[in-house]
Amino acid sequence: MLNTILRHEWRSLSADASVWIVVAVFAGAIGYGTLNGARWVAFQQEAIAEAQQEEAERYQRHQTEIVRINRENATVSAFSDPRNPDAVGRALGARYAVLPPTPVAALSVGQSDLLPYYFRMTTDAKETILAAAELENPHRLLAGRFDLAFVIIYLYPLLILALTYNVLSSEKEQGTLVLTLSQPVSLRTLVAGKVLLRFVLFMGAVGFLALMALVVGGVDLGASGVAPRLALWAVAVAVYGLFWFAAAVAVAAFGKPSATNATALAGIWLVLVVLLPSLLNISATTMYPVPSRVEMIQAMRVASDEANAEGSTLLARYYEDHPELATGDAQQAMNDFNLIRVAVGAEVERRVRPVLDRYTRQLAAQQQVVGRARVLSPAILMQDALNDISGTGTARHRRFMQQVESYHEQWRSYFVGLIFQKARLQDYAGLPRFAFEEETTAAVASRAAVSLAAIAIPTVLIAAFAYTSIRRYPLVG
Amino acid sequence: MVMTIARKELREMLRDGRFRALAVTVFALSVVSFAAGWKHYTDVERQHLQAQEATRAQWLNQPAKNPHSAAHYGMYAFKPKSRLSLVDTGVDPYVGVAAWLEAHKQNEFRYRPAQDRTAIQRFGELTAAEGFLVILPLFIVLMSFATFAGEREQGTLRQLLGLGVARRDLVTGKAFGVAAALALVVVPATLVGVATLAFTSEFSGLRDDMPRAVLVAIVYLTFFATCVAICLGVSAWARTSRAALVVLLAFWFVNSLIVTRAAADLAAWLRPTPSAIEFQRGLERDLAAPEEMRLRLERRRQELMRQYNVQTMDAVPINFSGISLQEGEERANDVFDAHYGRLFETHEAQNRTLQWAGLAAPMIPVRSLSMALAGTDFAHHRDFVKAAESYRRGIQRVLNDDIARNSKPGVAYVAGPALWAKVPEFAYTLPSAGWALRQTAPSLLLLVAWCVASVWFASRATRRLAAD
Amino acid sequence: MLEAIRLTKRYDDVTALSSLDLTVRPGEVFCLLGANGAGKTTTINLFLNFVAPTSGSAKINGIDVTSQPLETKKYLAYIPETVMLYKSLTGLENLEYFAALAGRPDYTRAQLLDFLTQVGLEREAADKRVGTYSKGMRQKVGIAIALAKNAKALLLDEPTSGLDPKAANEFSALLAQLSADGVAVLMATHDLFRAKESGTRVGIMKQGRLVRTLETTEVGHGDLERIYLEHMHD
Repeated sequence: MLNTILRHEWRSLSADASVWIVVAVFAGAIGYGTLNGARWVAFQQEAIAEAQQEEAERYQRHQTEIVRINRENATVSAFSDPRNPDAVGRALGARYAVLPPTPVAALSVGQSDLLPYYFRMTTDAKETILAAAELENPHRLLAGRFDLAFVIIYLYPLLILALTYNVLSSEKEQGTLVLTLSQPVSLRTLVAGKVLLRFVLFMGAVGFLALMALVVGGVDLGASGVAPRLALWAVAVAVYGLFWFAAAVAVAAFGKPSATNATALAGIWLVLVVLLPSLLNISATTMYPVPSRVEMIQAMRVASDEANAEGSTLLARYYEDHPELATGDAQQAMNDFNLIRVAVGAEVERRVRPVLDRYTRQLAAQQQVVGRARVLSPAILMQDALNDISGTGTARHRRFMQQVESYHEQWRSYFVGLIFQKARLQDYAGLPRFAFEEETTAAVASRAAVSLAAIAIPTVLIAAFAYTSIRRYPLVG
Repeated sequence: MVMTIARKELREMLRDGRFRALAVTVFALSVVSFAAGWKHYTDVERQHLQAQEATRAQWLNQPAKNPHSAAHYGMYAFKPKSRLSLVDTGVDPYVGVAAWLEAHKQNEFRYRPAQDRTAIQRFGELTAAEGFLVILPLFIVLMSFATFAGEREQGTLRQLLGLGVARRDLVTGKAFGVAAALALVVVPATLVGVATLAFTSEFSGLRDDMPRAVLVAIVYLTFFATCVAICLGVSAWARTSRAALVVLLAFWFVNSLIVTRAAADLAAWLRPTPSAIEFQRGLERDLAAPEEMRLRLERRRQELMRQYNVQTMDAVPINFSGISLQEGEERANDVFDAHYGRLFETHEAQNRTLQWAGLAAPMIPVRSLSMALAGTDFAHHRDFVKAAESYRRGIQRVLNDDIARNSKPGVAYVAGPALWAKVPEFAYTLPSAGWALRQTAPSLLLLVAWCVASVWFASRATRRLAAD
Repeated sequence: MLEAIRLTKRYDDVTALSSLDLTVRPGEVFCLLGANGAGKTTTINLFLNFVAPTSGSAKINGIDVTSQPLETKKYLAYIPETVMLYKSLTGLENLEYFAALAGRPDYTRAQLLDFLTQVGLEREAADKRVGTYSKGMRQKVGIAIALAKNAKALLLDEPTSGLDPKAANEFSALLAQLSADGVAVLMATHDLFRAKESGTRVGIMKQGRLVRTLETTEVGHGDLERIYLEHMHD
C-alpha cells in the first residue's frame, strides 16, 4: 500500500517541472553555501599557518642571534636582547594560541568570522591581548554569510513548504482525492506516504549534495571526529525538516484551498525564521542589556592608576617607559626595573581582576537569559545546533577563551619566575606552548541534542495535532 | 475617475479583516523598534559621553610626570552614537566602541558589541530600518498582489474595462488607493519616530540632525513608492493572483536575504580583506627599520645644527630626545597611514561593490542610504577613526614639543597639569548630510533609477492589461 | 449488499437526509431521482464515509461503513460525476495505481489492458495521457477500476450527464453487464430515460426523504415522468 503511494507520488512529482526547478535551486544553493564555508575555513587555516610560520621564523632568528651574541660576547640593549626573559616574554618570544577550525567547520561559518581564533600571547595585560580581532569589513559582518547553515535555516524550510503546502489540497482541487479515497486507503496513510517521499527526497538531496560539496571544498571526510559530527548534522537537518513537514500537514488538515495554505505557511515561516529572531534579539538587548564595556574600561583604568600610584618611584616609572634612555649600569638597572615592573604589573592585575570578573559574570548571566528565549523559534535552535556541530558556536569559543586565559597565567608565571631568578634564556625550547583541548564529541552531541530536542518536542505535538485533525478533513464541500 | 477608484480600493482594504490585523501588527512592531532604538541610543550615548569626560578628567588629573610617560598613559576615544542610529543601527554592532590613544601606536577600535552577544545577533535586529525595509514591503505585497490579478479572476476587471475605464486611470487610482492604505500605517509610525527623536534632545544638536532625518524619510518614501509600483506591475502582468504572489514573495526573499550576502561574497572575492596576521606582519616589517630611522635622525641633527648655526649637538638649545621622539612618531604615522589607508581602501572598495549590487535589488540602495544618513555606515566610522587618530597625533606633538623645548638631555624632567591642559578637548561633530550622500552617490542614483524603472514597468504592464 | 438503516444527516439546522431506509441487493440497479439538494449526493457520500451520519447507519455487505471504513471500501467502487484522474499519467497507469491501492497490485499489463477493453476503451487510448481523454473515456477508466477491484457494489453520481447519446448507450450496456455479474448498483441521476432503461428500481427523493419507490417494470417512460413531476410539485 505504502509502496504504491510512494511510487505514484514519485511519478507525479518528477513529472512536474516546477519540482525540478526547486531541486535545482536547492542544489545550487547547497553547493555554493558549502563551498563558501570551505573557503572561509581555508582562509582561517592559512592565517593560522602564517602565524605559526612567523613564530617559527622569529624563533629561528632569535636563536641564531643568541648563538652569535654568546660567541662574540657582544653587548646588546636589554630591550632587544633575545636572552632577556622580560623582552622575550613581552615581544621576542611571543607565541600564538590558536583555535583550529574543526574538520567540518565548513558546514557553518557561525560566529567564527566575528570571534577571534588566534591570540598572540605575551606578558602584556590580559585584556590587551584578548581584545584582538579579525579585520573583517563590518558591512560584511552585518550582511551575514551565504553558507550552508544559511541555506538550511532559511531556504530549506521554504522549499519544503513549497512542495508540501498542497499535498492534500491539490488532489482535492483537481478532483482525484475522492477517487483515491474510495479505495481502501485511509487519508492518514495517503498523507504519510506523500510526506515520506518528500522527506526522503529532501534528505537524500541535502545529504548527497552537502557531502559532494564538502569533498570538492577539500574537507577530509576520513579525519577523526568527522563521522559523528556529520551524523549529528544529518540528524539535525532531519529534525528541522520534520518540523516544517509537520507544520505543512497541520495546515493542510484544515482543508483550506491551496492558496490559503500557501499564505498561511509563508506567514508561519516569516514569523518563525525572520520576525521572531530579530524581535527576540532586540527585546533581549533592550531588557537585558550587555554590561557596558565602556564602563569596564573606565573601571580598569582607575584600578590600574591606583596600583601604579602605589608602585615605583617617578624615576623608575620613567625608565619603565623608556629603558633605552637609562644611564649607568644597564644590566643592574634593567634587573631592578624589571622586578619593579613585574611587581607593579601584578598589583595592577590584582586590582583589575574583580572588575573583569564582575563583567564576565554579568555577561554570562545576560547570555543565559537570552539563551532561554531561543526555544521560541526553531530557526534559532537550529542555528545553535549547527554552530555546535561545526564548532563555530559561542560555547566552544568560550572554552577556547578559558584555555587561553590559563595559558596567559602559565606564560606569565614562567617569565616572572625567570625574571626573579635573573636568569638568561639560551634557547626557546622550554617556552610554554598552547594546544587547544578540543571538546569531546559527547559534549558537542549533548549540547546539540538539547537544541534538537527543543525542536523535536513541538514537532511531535504539531504532528499529533495533524494526525487527529486529518480525521476531520472536509472531503466534500 | 482616479479618485473614485482610489476610494473604492481603500474601502475594500479597510473592510478586509486581514488588512486590519496586519496593519495593527506592523504599526505595533514599528513602535517596539523605535522604543528599543531610543532606549539603546540613550543608554549608549550617556555611557560614552560619561566615559569621554572621565578619560579627559583622568588625563588632566595626572600627577606630575615626564610628558612621555603621559603619552604612554594616553587617553581613550569613545565612539559617539549618532542620534539617527535609533532608526538604523547599521554597522554599529560590528565596529569597536573604544580606542586607546597612546604613543607610537595606532590602536584599533576594540570591543565590538556583537562579540558580546549571542549568535541570535546574526539574525539581525528589529530596528525601524529593518521594519521599513523587510516587513513593510511584505505588507505592501500582501495588500496589493491581487489588485489586478484578483479582479481578473473575479471577473470584475472585464466589467471595468468594458465600461470604458482607461487603463492609466485604473493604475493611478489603484496606486493611490494602496498608497492611502499604506499611509494609514506609515504616517503614525513616522510620527512615533519623530517623537522618539524629539525625546532624545537631552543630548544637544537635534536641529543639526534635522536634514538627515528629513532625507531618511524621503528615501524610505521613495522606496515605498517603488514597492507599490512593482507590486501593481506584477499584479497586472501575472496570469493569476497566485502567480503574482509567488513572484513577489520570491522577489522579496531574494532581495532581503540573498542579494546582500551574495554581493558581500562577490565584493570579498574581488578585493579580499587581508587576515589580521598578514596585516600585523606587514605593519611590523615596515615599522622596524632601524637603519632608516638612524639616517633620518642624523639628517635632523644636521638640520638643527645648521638652523642654530652651531657645530655640535650640545650647543643646540633644544633637547634632541623630544625631536627624536617626534620623528619616530611621524615615521610611524606614515607607515600607519600607508597600511591602514590600504586596509580601509579595501573595505571601501568592497562597499562600493555592495552598493552597485543595488542594480539587482532595490532594497540595497535604500539600506545604504539609510545607514549613511543615520551615520552608521563604514564611511562614518572611518571618519571618526581619522578624527581620533589626528587627535592622538596632536597629543604627541604637544608633548614632544614640550620635551624638546623645556627639558635638558640627561636630566630627569617632569611636567604637570599645565601641560596636560594644553592638549585640547577631543571634539567631534558628525559630518553633514551632504557628505553622507556624497559617499553613497551610487546608491542615490540606483534608488532613483529603481523608482523610475518600477513606475515605467507598472505603466507598461497595465497598458497591456488583458481582461482575462 | 448496500443497506441504509434510518440513515440521517443534519448540517446545523438543515436536514440533508432524513431517515433513509434502503436496500440494494446484488444484481439490482437502484436509481435515485430528485432535484439538486434532494439528498442524492449526501446518500452517496454517507456510503463512502466521506461524511459521518448524524444517526442511523450505512452498511456494505453487512459491514458498517463508519466502524470499518477501509474494509467496506474493498467491496465498493465509486464513479463521481466527473471522473478526475492524474493528468500526467496514462489511462493504463491510472488504472494500475488505483487497482494497487484497492489491494490488487499484481495485475499484468495484459490484464489491465483487458479491463480497459472490456469497458470499451480503445486500445491506443490506453497508453495516452489522461489529459487528452474525453469525459466518457475517463468514466470508462473509472468503471475499469471497479472491475479490476472486483467490486460488489457500485456508486454512481450523475453518470450520464455530459455524455453524448452513443457514449450514454455504451454506458447502459456496461451497467447491464455489471448487473448481470451480480454487482449492486446505486445510481443518483436526473436522467429519467436512462433510469427506466437501466434501472431495476427507482426511488424519488425530495428534501432529504425517499418519497416513492417503484419497480421500473411496473411503469412506462411517460408514467415515470408524470409521477416524478407530481412529487416535485408539492
